[in-house]
Amino acid sequence: MRNFITPRYYLPALMIFILLLIPLFISSPYILHIMAMVLFWAYLASAWNIVGGFAGQLSLGHGVYVAAGAYVSSLLFANIGLSPWFGMIIGGLVAALLGVIVGYPTLRLRGAYYALATVGFAEGFRVILINTTKIGSWHTGGAEGFLVPLLGDAPQHMQFMSKVPYYYLALVLLLIIVGFSFWLDRSKLGYYLTAIREDEDAALALGINTARAKLIAAALSAFFTGVGGVYYAQLIRYLEPNAIAGAIMSNQIVFLAIVGGRGTVLGPVIGGIFLTIIGEMTRILFDQVMGLHLFLYGIIVVLFVIFKPRGLIELVEKPYEKLVKMLNGRRVEGAS
Amino acid sequence: MFIKRNYKIFLLCITVLLVMLIAGCSGGGKSSGEVKEIKIGNILPLSGSAAPVGKIGQQARDMAVEEINAAGGIKSLGGAKIKMIYADSKGDPATGVAEAERLITQERVALITGAYQSGVTLPATEVAERYKVPFVCPVPSEDVITERGFKYVFRLAEKTTWRNREQVRFIQDMAKKFGTPVKTVALIYENTAWGQGAVKGWEKYLKEAGLKIVLKEPYPANSSDLTPVVLKVKQLKPDVIMMCSYVSDAALLTNTFAEHKVKPLAFIGTSGGFADPVYFKTTGDNSEYFFDISTWEPDVNRPFSKEVNEKFKQKYGYPMNAEAVKAYTAMYVIKDALERAGSLDPEAIRKALAETKLTSGVTQMYASEIIFDESGQMVNAPLIISQFRKINGKMERVTVWPEKEARPGWKPVWPFPGWDK
Amino acid sequence: MGVLSSIINGILMGGVYGLLAMGLTLIFGIMKIINFAHGAFLMVAMILSYWLWKIMGLDPYLSIIIIAPLMFLLGYLTQRFTIKPVLDAEKDVREPIGALLLTAGLAVAIENFILMVFGADYLMAKTAYSGASINISSLSISVPRLYAFVTSLVVAFLFYQFLIKTELGRAMRATGQDRGVALLMGINVSKVYSIAFGIGTALAGLAGIVLIPFYYAHPSVGAVFITKAFIIVVLGGLGSVHGALVGGLIIGLIESVAAQYMTATWTAILIYFAFLAFLLLKPSGLFGSRYEW
Repeated sequence: MRNFITPRYYLPALMIFILLLIPLFISSPYILHIMAMVLFWAYLASAWNIVGGFAGQLSLGHGVYVAAGAYVSSLLFANIGLSPWFGMIIGGLVAALLGVIVGYPTLRLRGAYYALATVGFAEGFRVILINTTKIGSWHTGGAEGFLVPLLGDAPQHMQFMSKVPYYYLALVLLLIIVGFSFWLDRSKLGYYLTAIREDEDAALALGINTARAKLIAAALSAFFTGVGGVYYAQLIRYLEPNAIAGAIMSNQIVFLAIVGGRGTVLGPVIGGIFLTIIGEMTRILFDQVMGLHLFLYGIIVVLFVIFKPRGLIELVEKPYEKLVKMLNGRRVEGAS
Repeated sequence: MFIKRNYKIFLLCITVLLVMLIAGCSGGGKSSGEVKEIKIGNILPLSGSAAPVGKIGQQARDMAVEEINAAGGIKSLGGAKIKMIYADSKGDPATGVAEAERLITQERVALITGAYQSGVTLPATEVAERYKVPFVCPVPSEDVITERGFKYVFRLAEKTTWRNREQVRFIQDMAKKFGTPVKTVALIYENTAWGQGAVKGWEKYLKEAGLKIVLKEPYPANSSDLTPVVLKVKQLKPDVIMMCSYVSDAALLTNTFAEHKVKPLAFIGTSGGFADPVYFKTTGDNSEYFFDISTWEPDVNRPFSKEVNEKFKQKYGYPMNAEAVKAYTAMYVIKDALERAGSLDPEAIRKALAETKLTSGVTQMYASEIIFDESGQMVNAPLIISQFRKINGKMERVTVWPEKEARPGWKPVWPFPGWDK
Repeated sequence: MGVLSSIINGILMGGVYGLLAMGLTLIFGIMKIINFAHGAFLMVAMILSYWLWKIMGLDPYLSIIIIAPLMFLLGYLTQRFTIKPVLDAEKDVREPIGALLLTAGLAVAIENFILMVFGADYLMAKTAYSGASINISSLSISVPRLYAFVTSLVVAFLFYQFLIKTELGRAMRATGQDRGVALLMGINVSKVYSIAFGIGTALAGLAGIVLIPFYYAHPSVGAVFITKAFIIVVLGGLGSVHGALVGGLIIGLIESVAAQYMTATWTAILIYFAFLAFLLLKPSGLFGSRYEW
């Protein structure tokens, strides 16, 4: 029991507690909306991290899974009235299936093929979404986009008039993915993936079925991303193929995870929070100069890859460790 | 040692970036403490690929508001001044939603205008409807915007399909006038929300007019090569070719038609790329005798048109376009509604907007009568057809149809005279 | 006649695609990096070539003598000062993901830098031959595309000779085959990388120059071509130079001929899925070496 009062436990607990309390102090729906988006991006980056970070396979087409989750759940919702809460599972599974379809032929090969295949698949998927206006008798809207029916306050259908439930939902999703990453990092599969990332040939020599391990990672990552897509669909309630399945969505997810620190449990979360806030600020401040904010964005990524390949997490880790040590010391002193 | 130095360079770079951010912060953090003002929120694409059109929309709005404020503001509200607040949508629906939330709950605007792209307007108007804040759309044309039963959304523009309706009427009119029967039509459109909306309108009205669609060709926007599409059209020899494209594809299509000397009775564009000033720069003479549809042209025969355009040109260095005229007119429609509402109560403003009936004043440059139907859709948006003509060695858009709004002394050239000009 | 026209057009465009893909595949073959900034480099060359034409009236084909070396330099310096540090840090990794991300970040930065400086306008050099076509009965062949095709072939030939015949070319191929052994043979691997990246960038630049008389430059024009180039490179076999040219011709032909029988949008979808199917059935591509993969 005593172990649980160490800073290693109460500091994260404190952070979660603060995140839980935030809506009590912020009444502005706009700020809450932005904070929900920040948590959402952190969630997506963490989901990408499973295949992109832990397994070291660069997926540049995660927008496909966001779109799959969003479209599947919204179509089921609009046409047969299936609640998006169930849609989350179905959307996630469909996304996972797509993840397997891209991954199966390419993950047996070296990483470059997987990266290229994800780009090609995402582009193809986007064009199909644009070009399809109907699946059977279900309207998908094609390029005009799909409007998710607005029901007003309908918690059973994941729709709320207030932003507070959306915030908490994003927070719960984020906690789930962080918990999952934490588990994965210490699981057998996690060790396999690390081994593959460090040296695939050696991993193969050790008898690890590398293709299978990578495929599982790709499917898990796609599943969580698809679940995120369902959330996005209910928050924004408008699905536009270019915005949701396009390169901007896919690249954004990757950038967040990289800048935060890929292959670590909390890196993508930190990256998601940091870059989304920076992005929001630069957009509001630099709206006069076209392209400046994306330029800064690109430069930040380049600088991180060159100078801090392990990401922001590296900058946060040390002070955190120091803090833990300091608090630990104090506690011990106080106890004696 | 090397790592240490690297770390310093990294820190330096990050510091510079942060300083830039903070510098931007202190520059942008002005807050005005004026008491009597009416805040109007405007969602526009101010960055991203549509930034130039967002900018001209902003300038047109600013010019109108300056005039309104200089003339004493809103008199029924004690001469209150209008204050414009701009929000950048990046052309992205999710950002548009966040900005609508911000304008309504943070800035507490009385009403919102925007958002240029239909894709951003659709979800952004939904936010406004939820908070019961009036939303005036001067540009986006996707039909469904005013077909959702919303109470607070008003559109001062035509629906996409109305353009198609007028294009078909124009074809029939020309066929009759010049005795050149038109039987077959080829439709070439970009595979986007806009193009897919247009094709629905074309199909409906062409069918009603008894014309046969021999080709329906969607192509991916920003194609690397449109020769295959052009070759297909050339094989089919349609009487009329109708196109719906943004500027890069519009120019590529035009030039490729020229290379392969495709010669129908008429080429008809659907605004967008064909109305972009860059179009003439990149096609040169090739676009001569093409037709295009729009709601306003600099030479259109309407009151106030010349004066306002001249003023705009003086102020910003280039002429207005139809979208700028709509944005400019929108501010006067809002002013008129505010005067009649006499309060900032959203319900009062909504009611005043719904009762709009403007038949005089500067809004004449856009439409002789501005009224909204029950869905908030402007009735009878004024559509005109122009033809691209070379005048004194320069390409110009010449309004030719309908006759009463045509440039005095100019008539349409029909059929297309061919490429050996 | 229609089919013949579309075959000719497909071959002409395919040559240009091939030229672009050649630079990409060269960089991959030697450095094992997929250069996501390749499209951005194409765009930079197009914009440079446009302004040289606009301001000095220089014909785009003449501007090759200025732009090709400039692009080489740009690529050389990019590798030397951004990619090399990353590669050094990831020395033991066979396929450096960090470098891949770096090029993706560079692409975003370059595109938006150009957007800031030159704006989002569509630019095209309207030369005397821009709209010209050769007409044989009802068959018409676009002159600027013909020039572009011929130039692409000449460049491809010269480049191939360089790889096969020269000392430097041999050093490059050796490095691509086995970095470790090349190092032991006394090849300055780092320098070879810089040169390879420079040449790859110059090839992207050449593709941009031949495009500018009939295609529009704007900051995100790279995106129009880059995905196609990726597909071509995989089709031809990652790292295979002649594979890139053949792959380019194949994609050009599919795009042009298939569009006569289906809508242009479905041609695009067809290409993406043919690509995926190809990955599944023959991942090494047409000319890739099997044991590598």
